[in-house]
Amino acid sequence: MTTAATEQMAEAAPPANAKTPVPRSGSLFAGVLWPLLSGAIGLALWEGLVRLFKVPLFILPPPSQVVITIVDQWWYLLSQLAITTFAAGLGLIMAVVFGLAAGAAITASRLVDRMLTPWLVIAHAVPKVVIAPLFLVWFGFGLQSEMFFVVAFTFFPVIVNTVTGLKSADPEQILMVRAMGATPGQVLRKIQFPSALPSICAGIKLAVTLAPVGAVIGEFVASNKGLGHLLIRAVGDMDTSLAFAAVTVFSIFGVLLWRLAEWGERRVLPWHPSQREAFLLRGGGN
Amino acid sequence: MHGRSASASISLKNIEKVYPGPAGDLHAIAPLSVELAAGQAVSIVGPSGCGKSTLMRLIAGLDPPTRGEIRIGQELVTRPVSDIGIVFQRDLLLEWRNVLGNVLLPAEIKGLPDLEPRARELLREFDVDAFASSYPWQLSGGMRQRVAIARALLTRPALLFLDEPFSALDALTRDQMNVLLQHVQTSEAVTTLLITHSITEAIFCADRVLVMSGRPGAIMDDIRVPFERPRRLALRETSEFTAIGRRIREHFEKAGVLVG
Repeated sequence: MTTAATEQMAEAAPPANAKTPVPRSGSLFAGVLWPLLSGAIGLALWEGLVRLFKVPLFILPPPSQVVITIVDQWWYLLSQLAITTFAAGLGLIMAVVFGLAAGAAITASRLVDRMLTPWLVIAHAVPKVVIAPLFLVWFGFGLQSEMFFVVAFTFFPVIVNTVTGLKSADPEQILMVRAMGATPGQVLRKIQFPSALPSICAGIKLAVTLAPVGAVIGEFVASNKGLGHLLIRAVGDMDTSLAFAAVTVFSIFGVLLWRLAEWGERRVLPWHPSQREAFLLRGGGN
Repeated sequence: MHGRSASASISLKNIEKVYPGPAGDLHAIAPLSVELAAGQAVSIVGPSGCGKSTLMRLIAGLDPPTRGEIRIGQELVTRPVSDIGIVFQRDLLLEWRNVLGNVLLPAEIKGLPDLEPRARELLREFDVDAFASSYPWQLSGGMRQRVAIARALLTRPALLFLDEPFSALDALTRDQMNVLLQHVQTSEAVTTLLITHSITEAIFCADRVLVMSGRPGAIMDDIRVPFERPRRLALRETSEFTAIGRRIREHFEKAGVLVG
């Protein structure tokens, strides 16, 4: 039976059994090696030029000094990063919940769409930094302001992608489940939401990377804690090395966050066309 | 053994369907009456746009008729009929569910528990049981459509509607599917309504062929197909079979659909 199944499998999806050379490991090596090399060259140039021209530390510290700062103050940096992450996480959860609900409402009702969508676009178009002082007035100094700042930064991609996704459901599939006697709630759960999931994931991925940015800018104006506040203070103290250290930590964190979001997406969407190549290369099937 | 479902009769009385439009009304179906006996396998064949699919939507209760009365068994159709399995031209498998999950969809929607043994039995019958946990994209077109038929049959519906189910398949796969449908019609005791463009398929898969005219749709001929079941593909070359085919083709030639 297994042999028969394998033969049928070959008929159904030829690439699964075709022994094509797997470019993965080679490209992975190249994908890590080349950026590392160019990065090393860039850092070496930076280090050399700063030392050669004796640039003062408070204007541009050499990379070695930034590394020393990170090592010396790692606990301080990480604790401030944790505070920023906490605010970003809370804001992100709020934005996702609100974005999904608003997206569903906009898709379900033309009236809601017409009444809400223009305002959402306007709200998104307002430069966030401009309204930061207002948030300070409304929500006070601290976590609350910061959180709403994150929401302001991240709600839009979630809503837009939710609406796009929900509208992309196949009308014939909807007709089919209606013919099976599905309620509107079932149509949403069984067809529209799963169809929308790839789009929703794309929206959330964008939001995930925007959230810490929102949190940091929030901390610039409305907090005495977190990486954003640390950055402002470091610049104020002319401790440029610490500022660079904060930026470096923040960037590494952003990349890790993106990786995490991609990993989550793969877990949620194992069936999606974007995952098929990996599936076929694993020689997948049964 | 199979726990057969009671198939149902279908009765149409003076059915008319008019779609109002800005450029005038579209008369999709002319007054049309027909009675289909329970358990009968009926094919509807007709030119494109003759209202075949509209007729099916009306019987399934997905769209109300402008005039006339539709009954399934004794019951007047006023809303979507749940005791019906529909197979469309596109298999409409949900890409995010595996094969078994797709077949079980109607049970989930109707809140029926424990139909997994039935689902697996159907997959075995249709020779796709090895793919129960595969995703639809891993299947060939013919396999996908077999899964769609299994899904339609899961809850043992009284009616099975097939709206040009095989027209996207290659000729050989299509022949296989015709044989499979034969098998289903004898094993499942379900009233089948097959809509098709293929005259051969219409005859091969049915006890009765309804020939429809172009818009507004009306029944031009009602032909009994006398062949015993199970039928083999070779039946299509017999003179009785080709005679029925000729009779249907002549209707289309007279109506100006087939001229050449």
